[in-house]
Amino acid sequence: MTTSPFQVTSRLVKDVAIVYPRGYLNNLSGEYLVNECGRHAQAGLKKIVVNFHETDLINSIGISFLLNVMEDLQTAGGTLCFTEMKKVHLDTFEMLGLTKYFLFFPDEEAALTALDARKR
Amino acid sequence: MPLTGLPAKDYLNREDDLSYLRRLADMRQDSLAANVLLLGTRGIGKTELLKQVFREVFWEGREVVPFYYSFKTAALKSSTFARDYFTRFLKQYAAYVKKEPLLVDDAGMSLTRLMPVLSSAGLDWMLDIVDAFQEHAVSGDLYGQILAAISAPAAAAKRGGRRILVMLDDFTASEDLHEARRGDAPGLASLFEESMKNSLCPHIITGSPTARLEGIFSDPSLRKDTERMQLLPLPEDTSFSFFDSLLRKMHITCDMREAIGLIRTVRGNPLYLKNMAKAAWKTKKKELREKDLAECYCHEILDGEISFYWSSVLSERIRTKNLLRTLLRLLMRQMTKEGADDEARLSQVLGIRDAELGQAMEILDGNGLGRHDDPVFEDFVRALYMREIEGRSAGEIRERIGERFGTQRDSSRFEMVIPMTDQAELVAARAVEQIGKNINLEPDLLNYIQLALVETCINAIEHSGSYEKKIYLNFLSTPEQIEITIESPGRSFSLDSLRESPVEEKLASGRKRGWGFTLIRKIMDDVRVERVNDRTRVTLVKKIRNKEALK
Repeated sequence: MTTSPFQVTSRLVKDVAIVYPRGYLNNLSGEYLVNECGRHAQAGLKKIVVNFHETDLINSIGISFLLNVMEDLQTAGGTLCFTEMKKVHLDTFEMLGLTKYFLFFPDEEAALTALDARKR
Repeated sequence: MPLTGLPAKDYLNREDDLSYLRRLADMRQDSLAANVLLLGTRGIGKTELLKQVFREVFWEGREVVPFYYSFKTAALKSSTFARDYFTRFLKQYAAYVKKEPLLVDDAGMSLTRLMPVLSSAGLDWMLDIVDAFQEHAVSGDLYGQILAAISAPAAAAKRGGRRILVMLDDFTASEDLHEARRGDAPGLASLFEESMKNSLCPHIITGSPTARLEGIFSDPSLRKDTERMQLLPLPEDTSFSFFDSLLRKMHITCDMREAIGLIRTVRGNPLYLKNMAKAAWKTKKKELREKDLAECYCHEILDGEISFYWSSVLSERIRTKNLLRTLLRLLMRQMTKEGADDEARLSQVLGIRDAELGQAMEILDGNGLGRHDDPVFEDFVRALYMREIEGRSAGEIRERIGERFGTQRDSSRFEMVIPMTDQAELVAARAVEQIGKNINLEPDLLNYIQLALVETCINAIEHSGSYEKKIYLNFLSTPEQIEITIESPGRSFSLDSLRESPVEEKLASGRKRGWGFTLIRKIMDDVRVERVNDRTRVTLVKKIRNKEALK
């Protein structure tokens, strides 16, 4: 496990915001992630994909922030998808009984296809 | 027998502790130190440290009189105790003044015969203290007698101008002080309060098990003005140096590589090392190999002094064979079972009645045997279990214990301290990553262990509330398991207090927190939370199954 300083960036693919959290997702960095997602939601985007490819570690506080993002988006009638999660992260959600509350996809393409299909 | 300690040159790795205790009388008088509660596991060297302090203070001539008293060998009927305590104090005082070490342990010298000795030492003023004690004895005032005995050091310090360093060993046995029969006069130990308050006679108090000693000192009257000193196991290199020094006296040699299995098995416990050295001497070999040490170890576990020592500890409280069997089954269950059982479950699984089980559990807790980190004690229990429960022959037991010997050779222990600062938990996670790699642990499993460790550290950082912003970590890896202890000062908690609320309930809450210990318990095979001195200790154990270690 190598943990880089946390960074969060994002890009837009049509009406979907793809967010890239990099490094260690904990109490400090969780705030940045919530803000980044909130920024897109405020701009009227209702579909957010979080790509965890470069996320090294998610602790339980990080998970609670992801739950907050989900709740905010659901309240606004939006959808949150997770992609490219490492096995340990997926297992963490599984162990906590949280998998049924999120949509998981192996990669961005699969998430975008699923979101596109939901629109239709 | 306070003057029978190891020669100073063979007394290793305790210089700082020894130096502090030696100067305790000076520091206490200047209000820079309190009385000392000396804590440590059985056999770690608490008594030996007191002996070293006694010898140094006895000879260094700083006008501080060392007084050592062991409750282990004391008669605990209070009137007998009072006379014994009083007489021993006078003898040791006179021995110090006359510089006659033989007087310290002169068991044959009665109070009457002691009077001329005191007088010849120029201690006539002490005869008043003796008279006061005798008056209580003659009038049959038991409490007066005990108080007079216990306060004799304080009285002598005041009258004689010399400070007294009082060292009370095996103080846990003081709970058994009684008038006519055991249990008829609880709380007599609290009579030491007055004496302990006196700045002219600081006390160093020790005993086993630690939890019982701490229990006595939970009494506010004793706890006040008392600081704790923890005696730690010897590090591996010092353990070997100590073992080697004992062997050399008997003209025996042993290479470190041959002894490493033993050194790791005894976990820095000088008592075990001493017993092993004595057992090695009996083999009459001049050069020891690992197999010789394995033989000595089996002998010690089955019939030697280690066996005798632990048998004595058990027999202090166990009066019947049935209770012993129950205790052994309980201990074996704890040693082999992953996770903790509640009492009802234990009763079912072991087929033992509740009352009997409760009694055995009380003995385990009262003697600090329930939770331990001692492979030697475990082997002793295994051997006894095989004999008493399974009915195996001595040869068979010897063979099985022999097979186990040296399995600790492949263990590694690491310690680290991290500050309670943001992301310090990642440093601990990196450490466990490397420890896991060293034993070829499968990367996925390592990721889970790292996560459990991170969660435990975060919990300590968030909830400790201590001014000492540090987390103490200890990693022990063997081919069979990884065990991590995480200690933090400050507020304590128990696993029972962490209520598992349903996921829906957590999701409905504002902060959506409280996942940490759920995760830790899902990942690890055993999670224990206990209070150790002023720290909360969380122990995480992960067993390594075959497929989880890379070939």
